[in-house]
Amino acid sequence: MSRRLGFFARAWAVCAKDAAQELRRRVAIASIFFFAATALALVSYAVGPFGIPPESRSRLDASLLWVILFFSAATSLPRAFVREEETGTGLGLRKVAPGVVVLAGKALFNFLLFLAIAALSVPAFSVLLEWRVRSKAGLLAVILLGGWGLSIVSTFLSALVARAGQRNVLFLVVSFPLLVPLLLPAIASTIQASEGAVEGTPLRVLAAYDGAATCAAYLLAAVAWED
Amino acid sequence: MKFFKLLLLPFMGAVVAAAFLWPEPAKGFLGESSRIVFFHVPCAWTAALAFIVAAAYSVAWLLKREARFDDVAETAVRLGLLFAVLTLLSGSLFAKIMWGSYWNWDPRESSYLLLVFLYSAYLFLRAAVSDPERRARIGSAYAVFAAVLMPFLVFVAPRVTASLHPQTVINPQGKILMDTPTKTVFFAALAAFTGLFFWMLEIESRLARLGRERARSGQREAG
Repeated sequence: MSRRLGFFARAWAVCAKDAAQELRRRVAIASIFFFAATALALVSYAVGPFGIPPESRSRLDASLLWVILFFSAATSLPRAFVREEETGTGLGLRKVAPGVVVLAGKALFNFLLFLAIAALSVPAFSVLLEWRVRSKAGLLAVILLGGWGLSIVSTFLSALVARAGQRNVLFLVVSFPLLVPLLLPAIASTIQASEGAVEGTPLRVLAAYDGAATCAAYLLAAVAWED
Repeated sequence: MKFFKLLLLPFMGAVVAAAFLWPEPAKGFLGESSRIVFFHVPCAWTAALAFIVAAAYSVAWLLKREARFDDVAETAVRLGLLFAVLTLLSGSLFAKIMWGSYWNWDPRESSYLLLVFLYSAYLFLRAAVSDPERRARIGSAYAVFAAVLMPFLVFVAPRVTASLHPQTVINPQGKILMDTPTKTVFFAALAAFTGLFFWMLEIESRLARLGRERARSGQREAG
Protein backbone atom coordinates (compact mmCIF):
# COMPACT_ATOMS: atom_id res chain seq x y z
CA MET A 1 0.00 0.00 0.00
CA SER A 2 1.68 3.20 -1.13
CA ARG A 3 2.64 5.64 1.61
CA ARG A 4 1.80 8.48 -0.77
CA LEU A 5 -1.88 7.69 -0.31
CA GLY A 6 -3.63 9.72 2.39
CA PHE A 7 -4.88 8.31 5.71
CA PHE A 8 -8.49 7.92 4.55
CA ALA A 9 -7.54 6.39 1.18
CA ARG A 10 -5.40 3.76 2.94
CA ALA A 11 -8.11 3.09 5.56
CA TRP A 12 -10.62 2.71 2.73
CA ALA A 13 -8.26 0.22 1.01
CA VAL A 14 -8.17 -1.91 4.23
CA CYS A 15 -11.99 -1.68 4.43
CA ALA A 16 -12.34 -2.74 0.76
CA LYS A 17 -9.92 -5.66 1.34
CA ASP A 18 -12.02 -6.87 4.30
CA ALA A 19 -15.23 -6.51 2.30
CA ALA A 20 -13.75 -8.49 -0.61
CA GLN A 21 -12.56 -11.22 1.80
CA GLU A 22 -15.96 -11.47 3.49
CA LEU A 23 -17.87 -11.48 0.20
CA ARG A 24 -15.60 -14.21 -1.14
CA ARG A 25 -16.55 -16.42 1.83
CA ARG A 26 -20.29 -15.73 1.54
CA VAL A 27 -21.15 -18.13 4.36
CA ALA A 28 -19.75 -15.73 7.01
CA ILE A 29 -21.89 -12.78 5.86
CA ALA A 30 -24.93 -15.01 5.33
CA SER A 31 -24.62 -16.43 8.86
CA ILE A 32 -24.75 -12.89 10.38
CA PHE A 33 -27.98 -12.05 8.56
CA PHE A 34 -29.38 -15.50 9.33
CA PHE A 35 -28.65 -14.91 13.03
CA ALA A 36 -30.45 -11.53 12.87
CA ALA A 37 -33.45 -13.11 11.11
CA THR A 38 -33.65 -15.96 13.65
CA ALA A 39 -33.44 -13.55 16.62
CA LEU A 40 -36.08 -11.33 15.02
CA ALA A 41 -38.42 -14.29 14.40
CA LEU A 42 -37.97 -15.52 17.97
CA VAL A 43 -38.64 -12.06 19.48
CA SER A 44 -41.67 -11.32 17.31
CA TYR A 45 -43.11 -14.78 18.02
CA ALA A 46 -42.69 -14.29 21.80
CA VAL A 47 -43.81 -10.66 22.21
CA GLY A 48 -45.41 -9.87 18.83
CA PRO A 49 -48.92 -8.40 18.36
CA PHE A 50 -50.55 -11.48 19.88
CA GLY A 51 -48.07 -11.71 22.80
CA ILE A 52 -47.97 -8.23 24.35
CA PRO A 53 -50.06 -5.40 22.78
CA PRO A 54 -47.85 -2.81 20.96
CA GLU A 55 -49.04 0.09 23.17
CA SER A 56 -47.78 -1.76 26.31
CA ARG A 57 -44.25 -2.41 25.09
CA SER A 58 -42.79 0.80 23.63
CA ARG A 59 -39.85 0.68 26.11
CA LEU A 60 -39.41 -3.07 25.68
CA ASP A 61 -39.31 -2.76 21.86
CA ALA A 62 -36.32 -0.37 21.95
CA SER A 63 -34.38 -2.76 24.22
CA LEU A 64 -35.23 -5.79 22.07
CA LEU A 65 -34.16 -3.97 18.89
CA TRP A 66 -30.73 -3.19 20.37
CA VAL A 67 -30.36 -6.74 21.71
CA ILE A 68 -30.96 -8.05 18.16
CA LEU A 69 -28.59 -5.47 16.59
CA PHE A 70 -25.86 -5.98 19.21
CA PHE A 71 -25.82 -9.78 19.15
CA SER A 72 -26.12 -9.96 15.34
CA ALA A 73 -23.15 -7.61 15.00
CA ALA A 74 -21.26 -9.42 17.80
CA THR A 75 -21.10 -12.57 15.66
CA SER A 76 -18.87 -10.70 13.18
CA LEU A 77 -17.18 -7.91 15.16
CA PRO A 78 -14.42 -9.99 16.84
CA ARG A 79 -13.30 -11.29 13.44
CA ALA A 80 -11.81 -7.94 12.37
CA PHE A 81 -8.28 -8.73 13.59
CA VAL A 82 -8.74 -12.36 14.63
CA ARG A 83 -9.17 -13.34 10.94
CA GLU A 84 -5.76 -11.82 10.09
CA GLU A 85 -4.07 -13.97 12.75
CA GLU A 86 -5.97 -17.12 11.75
CA THR A 87 -5.12 -16.78 8.06
CA GLY A 88 -1.54 -15.68 8.78
CA THR A 89 -1.93 -12.34 6.97
CA GLY A 90 -1.32 -10.21 10.09
CA LEU A 91 2.42 -9.88 9.53
CA GLY A 92 1.95 -8.74 5.92
CA LEU A 93 -0.65 -6.17 6.94
CA ARG A 94 1.68 -4.83 9.66
CA LYS A 95 4.38 -4.30 7.04
CA VAL A 96 2.20 -2.31 4.61
CA ALA A 97 0.10 -0.13 6.92
CA PRO A 98 0.47 1.40 10.41
CA GLY A 99 -1.84 0.18 13.21
CA VAL A 100 -4.02 3.27 13.19
CA VAL A 101 -4.80 2.93 9.46
CA VAL A 102 -5.65 -0.78 9.85
CA LEU A 103 -7.87 0.00 12.86
CA ALA A 104 -9.67 2.79 10.95
CA GLY A 105 -10.23 0.55 7.90
CA LYS A 106 -11.51 -2.37 9.94
CA ALA A 107 -13.75 -0.13 12.08
CA LEU A 108 -15.18 1.35 8.88
CA PHE A 109 -15.92 -2.13 7.52
CA ASN A 110 -17.58 -3.15 10.81
CA PHE A 111 -19.62 0.09 10.76
CA LEU A 112 -20.85 -0.55 7.19
CA LEU A 113 -21.70 -4.13 8.14
CA PHE A 114 -23.63 -2.87 11.20
CA LEU A 115 -25.55 -0.41 8.97
CA ALA A 116 -26.41 -3.26 6.57
CA ILE A 117 -27.70 -5.37 9.50
CA ALA A 118 -29.71 -2.37 10.77
CA ALA A 119 -31.07 -1.58 7.28
CA LEU A 120 -32.61 -5.04 7.12
CA SER A 121 -33.46 -5.62 10.79
CA VAL A 122 -35.13 -2.30 11.68
CA PRO A 123 -37.82 -2.31 8.93
CA ALA A 124 -38.48 -6.03 9.55
CA PHE A 125 -38.70 -5.37 13.30
CA SER A 126 -41.09 -2.50 12.66
CA VAL A 127 -43.39 -4.63 10.49
CA LEU A 128 -43.33 -7.82 12.57
CA LEU A 129 -43.83 -6.11 15.95
CA GLU A 130 -46.01 -3.22 14.72
CA TRP A 131 -43.39 -0.84 16.12
CA ARG A 132 -44.14 2.77 15.21
CA VAL A 133 -41.32 5.34 15.08
CA ARG A 134 -42.47 8.97 15.23
CA SER A 135 -39.00 10.49 14.64
CA LYS A 136 -37.33 8.56 11.81
CA ALA A 137 -34.49 11.10 11.52
CA GLY A 138 -33.92 10.72 15.28
CA LEU A 139 -33.76 6.93 14.99
CA LEU A 140 -31.29 7.25 12.08
CA ALA A 141 -29.05 9.50 14.22
CA VAL A 142 -29.17 6.98 17.10
CA ILE A 143 -28.32 4.07 14.79
CA LEU A 144 -25.42 5.99 13.20
CA LEU A 145 -23.96 7.07 16.56
CA GLY A 146 -24.63 3.73 18.28
CA GLY A 147 -23.28 1.81 15.30
CA TRP A 148 -20.04 3.81 15.15
CA GLY A 149 -19.44 3.43 18.91
CA LEU A 150 -20.09 -0.31 18.71
CA SER A 151 -17.77 -0.65 15.69
CA ILE A 152 -14.81 1.34 17.02
CA VAL A 153 -14.83 -0.27 20.51
CA SER A 154 -15.29 -3.78 19.10
CA THR A 155 -12.58 -3.34 16.47
CA PHE A 156 -10.10 -2.07 19.06
CA LEU A 157 -10.89 -4.96 21.42
CA SER A 158 -10.60 -7.40 18.51
CA ALA A 159 -7.01 -6.16 18.02
CA LEU A 160 -6.29 -6.80 21.72
CA VAL A 161 -7.70 -10.34 21.82
CA ALA A 162 -6.42 -11.36 18.36
CA ARG A 163 -3.31 -13.06 19.73
CA ALA A 164 -4.74 -14.32 23.03
CA GLY A 165 -6.10 -17.79 23.77
CA GLN A 166 -9.91 -18.46 23.65
CA ARG A 167 -10.38 -15.32 21.50
CA ASN A 168 -14.11 -15.48 20.80
CA VAL A 169 -15.18 -16.09 24.41
CA LEU A 170 -12.64 -13.52 25.61
CA PHE A 171 -14.03 -10.94 23.17
CA LEU A 172 -17.51 -11.22 24.70
CA VAL A 173 -16.05 -11.04 28.25
CA VAL A 174 -14.08 -7.84 27.53
CA SER A 175 -16.57 -6.13 25.22
CA PHE A 176 -19.83 -6.38 27.15
CA PRO A 177 -18.90 -4.17 30.17
CA LEU A 178 -17.35 -1.55 27.85
CA LEU A 179 -20.39 -1.46 25.57
CA VAL A 180 -23.07 -1.14 28.27
CA PRO A 181 -22.48 2.66 28.65
CA LEU A 182 -23.11 2.88 24.88
CA LEU A 183 -26.16 0.61 24.77
CA LEU A 184 -28.00 2.33 27.68
CA PRO A 185 -28.17 5.81 26.04
CA ALA A 186 -28.79 4.17 22.65
CA ILE A 187 -31.86 2.40 24.07
CA ALA A 188 -32.99 5.59 25.88
CA SER A 189 -32.67 7.60 22.63
CA THR A 190 -34.50 4.90 20.64
CA ILE A 191 -37.40 5.11 23.12
CA GLN A 192 -37.44 8.89 22.58
CA ALA A 193 -37.41 8.39 18.77
CA SER A 194 -40.37 6.03 18.93
CA GLU A 195 -42.32 8.42 21.17
CA GLY A 196 -41.47 11.69 19.38
CA ALA A 197 -38.34 13.79 19.05
CA VAL A 198 -34.85 12.64 20.11
CA GLU A 199 -33.40 15.28 22.41
CA GLY A 200 -31.47 15.85 25.63
CA THR A 201 -28.91 13.87 27.58
CA PRO A 202 -28.95 10.34 26.04
CA LEU A 203 -28.00 11.47 22.51
CA ARG A 204 -25.29 13.80 23.86
CA VAL A 205 -23.91 10.94 25.97
CA LEU A 206 -23.87 8.73 22.89
CA ALA A 207 -21.96 11.36 20.90
CA ALA A 208 -19.51 11.95 23.79
CA TYR A 209 -18.91 8.19 24.19
CA ASP A 210 -18.18 7.88 20.45
CA GLY A 211 -15.74 10.80 20.61
CA ALA A 212 -13.90 9.44 23.67
CA ALA A 213 -13.73 5.88 22.30
CA THR A 214 -12.52 7.06 18.87
CA CYS A 215 -9.75 9.25 20.37
CA ALA A 216 -8.61 6.50 22.78
CA ALA A 217 -8.62 3.87 20.01
CA TYR A 218 -6.67 6.23 17.70
CA LEU A 219 -4.00 6.84 20.36
CA LEU A 220 -3.69 3.17 21.38
CA ALA A 221 -4.07 1.53 17.94
CA ALA A 222 -0.32 1.19 17.35
CA VAL A 223 0.17 -0.52 20.74
CA ALA A 224 -2.80 -2.87 20.27
CA TRP A 225 -1.64 -4.03 16.82
CA GLU A 226 2.09 -4.15 17.63
CA ASP A 227 3.84 -7.47 16.97
CA MET B 1 6.89 7.56 55.00
CA LYS B 2 7.19 5.14 57.93
CA PHE B 3 5.70 7.85 60.19
CA PHE B 4 2.58 8.05 58.00
CA LYS B 5 2.23 4.26 58.02
CA LEU B 6 2.46 4.22 61.85
CA LEU B 7 -0.08 7.05 61.99
CA LEU B 8 -2.56 5.26 59.71
CA LEU B 9 -3.59 2.57 62.24
CA PRO B 10 -4.67 4.96 65.07
CA PHE B 11 -6.16 7.33 62.48
CA MET B 12 -8.28 4.53 60.97
CA GLY B 13 -9.32 3.43 64.48
CA ALA B 14 -10.36 7.00 65.34
CA VAL B 15 -12.35 7.29 62.09
CA VAL B 16 -14.22 4.02 62.77
CA ALA B 17 -14.98 5.08 66.36
CA ALA B 18 -16.10 8.56 65.26
CA ALA B 19 -18.28 7.08 62.50
CA PHE B 20 -20.33 5.24 65.13
CA LEU B 21 -20.24 7.81 67.96
CA TRP B 22 -19.98 11.40 66.73
CA PRO B 23 -22.47 12.45 64.00
CA GLU B 24 -26.21 12.04 64.54
CA PRO B 25 -27.95 9.62 62.12
CA ALA B 26 -29.07 11.57 59.04
CA LYS B 27 -32.76 12.47 58.64
CA GLY B 28 -34.77 10.53 56.04
CA PHE B 29 -32.88 7.26 56.63
CA LEU B 30 -34.04 4.26 58.67
CA GLY B 31 -32.31 3.85 62.06
CA GLU B 32 -28.54 4.07 61.95
CA SER B 33 -28.33 3.07 58.27
CA SER B 34 -26.94 6.47 57.18
CA ARG B 35 -23.64 5.67 58.98
CA ILE B 36 -22.77 3.34 56.12
CA VAL B 37 -21.78 6.45 54.13
CA PHE B 38 -18.49 6.51 56.14
CA PHE B 39 -17.51 3.09 54.73
CA HIS B 40 -19.47 2.63 51.52
CA VAL B 41 -18.52 5.89 49.77
CA PRO B 42 -14.78 5.66 50.72
CA CYS B 43 -14.74 2.10 49.32
CA ALA B 44 -16.33 3.35 46.07
CA TRP B 45 -13.86 6.28 45.92
CA THR B 46 -10.88 3.99 46.59
CA ALA B 47 -11.99 1.56 43.86
CA ALA B 48 -12.24 4.39 41.30
CA LEU B 49 -8.87 5.77 42.48
CA ALA B 50 -7.26 2.32 42.13
CA PHE B 51 -8.45 2.04 38.53
CA ILE B 52 -7.11 5.53 37.76
CA VAL B 53 -3.76 4.56 39.33
CA ALA B 54 -3.77 1.41 37.18
CA ALA B 55 -4.32 3.55 34.06
CA ALA B 56 -1.54 5.96 35.08
CA TYR B 57 0.96 3.11 35.60
CA SER B 58 -0.19 1.53 32.34
CA VAL B 59 0.64 4.79 30.54
CA ALA B 60 4.03 4.72 32.31
CA TRP B 61 4.61 1.14 31.04
CA LEU B 62 3.66 2.15 27.49
CA LEU B 63 6.17 5.02 27.63
CA LYS B 64 9.07 3.31 29.46
CA ARG B 65 8.40 -0.45 28.94
CA GLU B 66 9.64 -1.31 32.45
CA ALA B 67 8.07 -4.38 34.12
CA ARG B 68 7.76 -2.66 37.53
CA PHE B 69 5.09 -0.31 36.14
CA ASP B 70 3.07 -3.27 34.91
CA ASP B 71 3.36 -4.91 38.37
CA VAL B 72 1.85 -1.81 40.00
CA ALA B 73 -0.90 -1.51 37.37
CA GLU B 74 -2.01 -5.12 37.82
CA THR B 75 -1.85 -4.83 41.62
CA ALA B 76 -3.92 -1.62 41.52
CA VAL B 77 -6.60 -3.39 39.46
CA ARG B 78 -6.72 -6.32 41.93
CA LEU B 79 -7.06 -3.91 44.88
CA GLY B 80 -9.62 -1.84 42.95
CA LEU B 81 -11.69 -4.98 42.47
CA LEU B 82 -11.46 -5.73 46.20
CA PHE B 83 -12.76 -2.25 47.07
CA ALA B 84 -15.42 -2.41 44.33
CA VAL B 85 -16.73 -5.71 45.76
CA LEU B 86 -16.76 -4.14 49.26
CA THR B 87 -18.73 -1.22 47.76
CA LEU B 88 -21.28 -3.66 46.34
CA LEU B 89 -21.57 -5.59 49.63
CA SER B 90 -21.96 -2.48 51.80
CA GLY B 91 -24.40 -1.00 49.26
CA SER B 92 -26.47 -4.20 49.31
CA LEU B 93 -26.73 -4.07 53.11
CA PHE B 94 -27.96 -0.46 52.88
CA ALA B 95 -30.41 -1.42 50.09
CA LYS B 96 -31.88 -4.22 52.22
CA ILE B 97 -32.51 -1.83 55.11
CA MET B 98 -33.79 1.11 53.04
CA TRP B 99 -35.47 -0.47 50.02
CA GLY B 100 -36.32 -3.96 51.32
CA SER B 101 -34.11 -6.10 49.07
CA TYR B 102 -30.37 -6.63 48.63
CA TRP B 103 -30.40 -5.91 44.89
CA ASN B 104 -32.68 -3.44 43.08
CA TRP B 105 -30.93 -2.82 39.73
CA ASP B 106 -30.46 0.77 40.82
CA PRO B 107 -28.29 2.42 38.09
CA ARG B 108 -25.45 3.20 40.51
CA GLU B 109 -25.52 -0.31 42.03
CA SER B 110 -25.46 -1.74 38.52
CA SER B 111 -22.66 0.59 37.37
CA TYR B 112 -20.33 -0.76 40.09
CA LEU B 113 -21.28 -4.34 39.21
CA LEU B 114 -20.32 -3.57 35.60
CA LEU B 115 -17.11 -1.97 36.85
CA VAL B 116 -16.27 -5.28 38.55
CA PHE B 117 -16.93 -7.07 35.22
CA LEU B 118 -14.89 -4.46 33.32
CA TYR B 119 -11.76 -4.95 35.43
CA SER B 120 -12.27 -8.71 35.90
CA ALA B 121 -12.07 -8.76 32.08
CA TYR B 122 -8.62 -7.10 32.42
CA LEU B 123 -7.46 -10.06 34.52
CA PHE B 124 -9.03 -12.57 32.09
CA LEU B 125 -7.31 -10.83 29.18
CA ARG B 126 -3.93 -10.99 30.92
CA ALA B 127 -4.44 -14.63 31.88
CA ALA B 128 -5.07 -15.52 28.21
CA VAL B 129 -1.64 -14.24 27.09
CA SER B 130 1.42 -16.28 28.05
CA ASP B 131 4.27 -14.01 26.85
CA PRO B 132 5.04 -11.48 29.68
CA GLU B 133 5.94 -8.61 27.31
CA ARG B 134 2.79 -9.05 25.21
CA ARG B 135 0.69 -9.53 28.39
CA ALA B 136 1.94 -6.19 29.74
CA ARG B 137 1.32 -4.44 26.40
CA ILE B 138 -2.23 -5.76 25.96
CA GLY B 139 -3.04 -5.21 29.65
CA SER B 140 -1.76 -1.62 29.51
CA ALA B 141 -3.70 -0.79 26.34
CA TYR B 142 -6.90 -2.25 27.83
CA ALA B 143 -6.43 -0.46 31.19
CA VAL B 144 -6.01 2.92 29.48
CA PHE B 145 -8.93 2.32 27.10
CA ALA B 146 -11.15 1.18 30.00
CA ALA B 147 -10.18 4.25 32.07
CA VAL B 148 -11.28 6.54 29.22
CA LEU B 149 -14.71 4.87 29.06
CA MET B 150 -15.07 4.25 32.85
CA PRO B 151 -16.53 7.74 33.58
CA PHE B 152 -19.43 6.94 31.22
CA LEU B 153 -20.18 3.84 33.29
CA VAL B 154 -19.74 5.35 36.76
CA PHE B 155 -20.78 8.98 36.35
CA VAL B 156 -22.84 9.34 33.14
CA ALA B 157 -24.89 6.14 32.58
CA PRO B 158 -26.51 6.25 36.09
CA ARG B 159 -27.79 9.75 35.26
CA VAL B 160 -29.50 8.67 32.04
CA THR B 161 -32.03 6.62 34.03
CA ALA B 162 -33.88 7.37 37.30
CA SER B 163 -32.16 6.26 40.53
CA LEU B 164 -33.20 5.34 44.07
CA HIS B 165 -29.70 6.16 45.30
CA PRO B 166 -29.25 8.92 47.96
CA GLN B 167 -27.75 12.08 46.39
CA THR B 168 -25.77 13.30 49.41
CA VAL B 169 -22.36 13.38 47.68
CA ILE B 170 -23.00 13.42 43.92
CA ASN B 171 -26.04 15.52 43.01
CA PRO B 172 -27.20 18.06 40.38
CA GLN B 173 -26.52 20.97 42.81
CA GLY B 174 -22.84 19.95 43.00
CA LYS B 175 -22.87 20.25 46.83
CA ILE B 176 -22.16 17.80 49.64
CA LEU B 177 -25.41 17.69 51.59
CA MET B 178 -24.07 16.88 55.09
CA ASP B 179 -23.81 18.63 58.48
CA THR B 180 -20.34 19.57 59.83
CA PRO B 181 -19.66 16.47 62.05
CA THR B 182 -20.80 14.12 59.27
CA LYS B 183 -18.69 15.97 56.70
CA THR B 184 -15.61 15.89 59.00
CA VAL B 185 -15.82 12.12 59.62
CA PHE B 186 -16.65 11.51 55.95
CA PHE B 187 -13.54 13.31 54.67
CA ALA B 188 -11.39 11.68 57.37
CA ALA B 189 -12.69 8.27 56.21
CA LEU B 190 -11.85 9.15 52.60
CA ALA B 191 -8.29 10.05 53.66
CA ALA B 192 -7.92 6.88 55.78
CA PHE B 193 -9.12 4.56 52.99
CA THR B 194 -6.87 6.34 50.48
CA GLY B 195 -3.87 5.89 52.81
CA LEU B 196 -4.76 2.23 53.35
CA PHE B 197 -4.98 1.68 49.58
CA PHE B 198 -1.54 3.16 48.89
CA TRP B 199 -0.01 1.10 51.72
CA MET B 200 -1.57 -2.11 50.37
CA LEU B 201 -0.47 -1.14 46.85
CA GLU B 202 3.13 -0.75 47.96
CA ILE B 203 3.22 -4.13 49.76
CA GLU B 204 1.44 -6.01 46.96
CA SER B 205 3.57 -4.43 44.22
CA ARG B 206 6.73 -5.40 46.11
CA LEU B 207 5.43 -8.99 46.40
CA ALA B 208 4.60 -9.04 42.66
CA ARG B 209 8.10 -7.82 41.82
CA LEU B 210 9.71 -10.45 44.08
CA GLY B 211 7.52 -13.15 42.51
CA ARG B 212 8.59 -12.06 39.02
CA GLU B 213 12.28 -12.00 39.99
CA ARG B 214 12.02 -15.43 41.63
CA ALA B 215 10.34 -16.86 38.51
CA ARG B 216 13.09 -15.37 36.34
CA SER B 217 15.91 -16.79 38.52
CA GLY B 218 14.13 -20.17 38.55
CA GLN B 219 14.05 -20.16 34.74
CA ARG B 220 17.74 -19.20 34.64
CA GLU B 221 18.67 -22.11 36.97
CA ALA B 222 16.55 -24.55 34.94
CA GLY B 223 18.18 -23.34 31.69
